[in-house]
Amino acid sequence: MKKLFFSILPVMLVAALFMTSAYAAGPDGAVPYAAGAYQSEDVPIGSSNEVLMVGTVEPTIMSVTMPTYVPFHIARSVQGENKVISPRITVTNNSSVPVSLDVIYTSVDLSKLQGTTWNNGQYVGENQIAIGFQLETLTNQMPTSFDGTKWLWANTQQDLNVMSLGAYDNSTMYVVGTLGSGVPENNTFSVIPTFIVRQA
Amino acid sequence: METKAAQRKWLLPAVCAACAVCLVVAAGLAVFALKKPGNSLELDDNATMGILPGVDVAQRQQELQQQLDETMIAFSINASPVFASGSAEGNLMLENPANNAKLLVVELYVDGTGELVYQSKAIPVGSYIENVRLDKVLGPGTYPATAYFKAYREDDHSFIGQVGAAVTLSVLS
Repeated sequence: MKKLFFSILPVMLVAALFMTSAYAAGPDGAVPYAAGAYQSEDVPIGSSNEVLMVGTVEPTIMSVTMPTYVPFHIARSVQGENKVISPRITVTNNSSVPVSLDVIYTSVDLSKLQGTTWNNGQYVGENQIAIGFQLETLTNQMPTSFDGTKWLWANTQQDLNVMSLGAYDNSTMYVVGTLGSGVPENNTFSVIPTFIVRQA
Repeated sequence: METKAAQRKWLLPAVCAACAVCLVVAAGLAVFALKKPGNSLELDDNATMGILPGVDVAQRQQELQQQLDETMIAFSINASPVFASGSAEGNLMLENPANNAKLLVVELYVDGTGELVYQSKAIPVGSYIENVRLDKVLGPGTYPATAYFKAYREDDHSFIGQVGAAVTLSVLS
C-alpha cells in the first residue's frame, strides 16, 4: 500500500501543477489581472506594458472685470483737443486665454441738446458732438489729443475693437471727445456703448 | 386827595414811557456794539460754502472715478459651451464672483436670429451655475451667441448696467 502511494504521488503533484497554471492563465492563455486590484506594477526590464491615459478637454473660461456704466463730462473749457473729463476705465482679464473688448453698438440720445447732432470723427461742425475711446499712454493722465482714438458711431451697428488683453492682463482707456461751439451747455446727453468680450 | 389821585393817574404812563425809552436805547446800543466796521454789505442767502463745482478738473475726475468703480463687475463664462442635445443641459459655467457685490442676471441671445434662448434668475454674489438647460430647444449645430450680464444693486435691485460676452454654442444631436 505504501509503495503504491509513493508511486502515485508524483503523478498527482504533476497533475495539480498543470491545473493551477491552467486556472491562472484563463481560456486565452494570457495571465489576467484582477480588475481594479492593481493601479501600478513593476515592469520587468526589457518587457512592455500598456498604460491607460485618460484626457479631459477643459472648457475655455473667460473671466473679466470691467465697467457696466461709464460716466464722463464734456466742457469747452478743458484744455487741449480733447474736451472730455473721463475716469480711468480699467479692464482686467482674469482668465488664461487672451480676450478682446469690442463695441458692437452705441445708443446715443442727444434730445436734451437742442439742434445738436452726432459726428463719427473728430472734425465736428458747430452743432456736433463726437465721442470715442483712447488707450492710456501716460499713467493717470487723461489724453489731450486724439491720437489713436477709436470713434463711436451713433445708433449704428459697429465692430470696433477698443482693446486686446493677454492672459491675466489688464489695460486702461479713457473716454475722449469734442463738441462744436454751438452745442448748448449745462445739459446732459447719453452715450451707451455695448461692450462685448470675446476670446481673441 | 384829588391831587394825589391825579399824580397816580400820570405816574404809570410816565413809568411805562421811561421803560420803553430805556429799551429802545439799549437795543440801539446793542446793535451799534455788534456791528463790525467791514460788515456793511448784506450776505447773499443763496451762496453755498465751498469751491464752485466744475472748476477743479481733478476733483471732477475723482467723482467720476467713484461712480465708475461702483459699476465694475466681474464675471466668468465658458466661451464654448456644449449641449449633448437641444434639450439637454450644457456647461455654460456662469459665475458671479464674491468680490462683485452685485446681482447678475444672464441672458443668452443667438447672434443670427437675435432669439433669447436662455435667461437666468438673479445669481447671488459668490455663486455659480455650472450647467444650464436652454429655454429654447436648438437643433444640432454650432451657434454664435452673446451672453449679456446685467448687473443689479443688491439692496434695491435697481439696474446698474450690462456687458456682453461672445460665446459659441455647440449642440451635438
